[in-house]
Amino acid sequence: MNENRPTAGRLWRKNIAIWGALLALLLLSLSLAYVPMGRLTTAAGIVIAATKSALVLLLFMELATSKSLIRLAAISGLVFVAAMFALTLSDVLTR
Amino acid sequence: MSDESAVLREPWLDFDRQREAAKFGIWVFLGSEALFFGALLMTYTVCRVEHPEAFAAAGRETNIWYGTINTAVLLTSSLSMAMASQAAESGMRFRRLVLGCLLATVLLGLAFIVIKGFEYKEDIDKHLVPGAGFALPQAGAQLFYGLYWLVTGVHAVHLSIGMVLVSRLFWMFYQRKLRISENPELEVTALYWHLVDIVWIFLYPLIYLPGRAS
Amino acid sequence: MTDALLAGELPLPPRPDYLRHGSTIASWLTTTDHKRIAILYAVTITFFFFLGGAAITAVRLELFQPNGWFLTSDSYNKLFSFHGIVMVWFFLVPSIPNTLGNFLLPLMIGAPDVAFPRLNLFSWYLTLAAGALTVYALLAGGVDTGWTFYTPYSSMFSNTHVFAAAAGVFVVGFASIATGVNFIATTHMLRAPGMTWFRLPLFVWAIYATSLIMVLATPVLAISLLLVIAERWLGLPIFDPSRGGDPVLFQHLFWFYSHPAVYIMVLPAMGVVSEIIPCFARRRIFGYDFMVYAMLAISGIGFFVWGHHMFVSGQSALASLVFSFLSFIIAVPSAIKVFNWTASLYRGQISFESPMLYALGFVGLFTTGGLSGLFLASIPVDIHVTDTYFVVAHFHYIMVGGSVSAFFAGLHFWWPKATGKLYPESWAKFAAILMYSGFNMTFLPQFFAGYLGMPRRYHTYPAEFQIYNVMSSAGAAVLAVAYLLPLGYLTWSLFYGGRAGNNPWEATGLEWTTTSPPPPKNFDWQPRVDREPYDYHAEGLSAGTDRPEVQNVREIQ
Repeated sequence: MNENRPTAGRLWRKNIAIWGALLALLLLSLSLAYVPMGRLTTAAGIVIAATKSALVLLLFMELATSKSLIRLAAISGLVFVAAMFALTLSDVLTR
Repeated sequence: MSDESAVLREPWLDFDRQREAAKFGIWVFLGSEALFFGALLMTYTVCRVEHPEAFAAAGRETNIWYGTINTAVLLTSSLSMAMASQAAESGMRFRRLVLGCLLATVLLGLAFIVIKGFEYKEDIDKHLVPGAGFALPQAGAQLFYGLYWLVTGVHAVHLSIGMVLVSRLFWMFYQRKLRISENPELEVTALYWHLVDIVWIFLYPLIYLPGRAS
Repeated sequence: MTDALLAGELPLPPRPDYLRHGSTIASWLTTTDHKRIAILYAVTITFFFFLGGAAITAVRLELFQPNGWFLTSDSYNKLFSFHGIVMVWFFLVPSIPNTLGNFLLPLMIGAPDVAFPRLNLFSWYLTLAAGALTVYALLAGGVDTGWTFYTPYSSMFSNTHVFAAAAGVFVVGFASIATGVNFIATTHMLRAPGMTWFRLPLFVWAIYATSLIMVLATPVLAISLLLVIAERWLGLPIFDPSRGGDPVLFQHLFWFYSHPAVYIMVLPAMGVVSEIIPCFARRRIFGYDFMVYAMLAISGIGFFVWGHHMFVSGQSALASLVFSFLSFIIAVPSAIKVFNWTASLYRGQISFESPMLYALGFVGLFTTGGLSGLFLASIPVDIHVTDTYFVVAHFHYIMVGGSVSAFFAGLHFWWPKATGKLYPESWAKFAAILMYSGFNMTFLPQFFAGYLGMPRRYHTYPAEFQIYNVMSSAGAAVLAVAYLLPLGYLTWSLFYGGRAGNNPWEATGLEWTTTSPPPPKNFDWQPRVDREPYDYHAEGLSAGTDRPEVQNVREIQ
């Protein structure tokens, strides 16, 4: 049980790297917001947010190394959120 | 392990199974939270689709510095929470690290609330509260701010619940009333905390970034 | 079954059962035993059933006359709203899942309790708190928005207690979510050795599919009501058209939950029927695998059809088409189940005990209600019959003819297990037949009235519809008697009924292997499963005439 236990240093390095990436993405979305690209500006903000969320989900919340049952539970929520958006927008966008 | 309790409860016969079930249970609950906040975000989306210019004008009035700093604060709290959770898997070796990170998480959460408080005060001074005397002329702008107050309020409630949970864990570990290593309550609380962070990650571009490019 | 057992002369079990293990009120109010929590829920939903029934009794009395005779229009609106709110959220949604599901799920999978017993108790307390808020709304003067709380009436114009009623529903939603999480985790994590997924009784699959819906759909209801509350209480402009809001958005959010909610109300009923029909036909269920796939399909596709409630709301034609198409699709898995229940009867040794009477009634009434749903899924027809009594008849055929019949079926089937008492069978048969007749007398005329144009939720109606209303109200009186009878004889059986043995129906399933009532931890030995469910006869034979081999066989200490 004692082999492969990480040291505090390894834990810090790994997690600070992830945190650094998150902050970098935050600053990226902040700067891109000022670039006039029409719809692309909005999309960029959302895509970057999705990327940050993916990092938190996969790495901080350890989904990448979790059992498939856990991953199934995680994805189910997202599938139905997507369906809710898609079908509602199918009304709102075509009125 | 001194006097920390082993936390095996009914109906479980096997502690690992109990941990697995707790983890599975919280992920199922997070699925429901995805739909909870997803519904709020969908409300925002529909309203924005119906009032694009008004939302851009309203988004410009938000304080981007408070928003960005708060996002960074929450991201950092996720760092400290992840550290606490991962270090706890190694048990007693990292007791001080776990305690320190839990404390940091609570303090960062508190910092978020304080900064939000200043932001709310500024919003009220700028008459950004929907109702008579609202600062902006467009109808959709009131809608933006109605959603702003509601969504950030609901998020703040979730954050406060998280802070209570983390504080309780800090206290129980500090008093050695709960075992740190492989603790299902810590795993569950950490996952909940990360959800609160993810919600804010999505709120940031929707609240603070619209309308900046014009 | 020895005569001694049938005569109720059983030796007392060597240890107290769950009912006798602790007899103080505190032991009941702080219990974490899923069986006791099931009883707590049963008492609660019975109270709400009769409360909602009282409201609609007043409505049906009023409708004897075309222009009303003892209610004001405002009172009328408040009564049907209260009826809907209470019946949907405080009776139908919790009824089978939280009473029968709570009691049976751990027993059927061979577990000592649910995954999170304290959360289970917390769910019940949330339900009580929510019920208190809703009853307060009634006592303070009622709410008149209908159970559907449509905006902008509910958010801007109604002068009634929308806040309290919406808050009550908001809170009971969280009880529902907690129950769903509990049942999903229980099914995944606590099955006995040998109880693989495809050896589960169909009732367990039904509760599992229902729990998926509870967890994923209810949060959206919470948001829809939160938005209405925010608009009323904080003046936020979410659904106010003059300030940019979109009232139809409320309907999207509300029906995103409320359509899957009807599957929350019907899937457990299907599960109950799937347990009863094999038992009283002495046959294996026909097409077990497809019964499972059908329930999962219903729970999944059920999320994609909500717009069929909104064909006349101003929804776009494209969206309406998509929703209409998907609504036709979702009829298919339900039809598969009806075919399979019917096929399970073929070459059976059918007997007509009261649970079977209720279960067969379910099949017929659910089919009728479901077929009428196809009419409503068709946009051209729906334009004419929406908001008429046709819709009212449709959903009552499914909710009352279906779910309530199945609830009574399950109540009678598992009553001996839960209480250790046998109820008087002839009274039960009489009540079942009376219920079926009263139900049809009440709701069949409503199809005609609606088709001919009588609107729903109107206090008064044109005189040409009076004949249908009189028939319906008379039928409701019969139905009321049929509901009161079980209250009478089931209560009687608690005191004077014969003792029930472990397996009075000679059914398969792990719950029948333990004592009636079960011990606090469900089994006196560790169950182990080594065969399929519904093993009523050998392969290749038709009905079984001997005692079936029940699933649990081994004793493992």
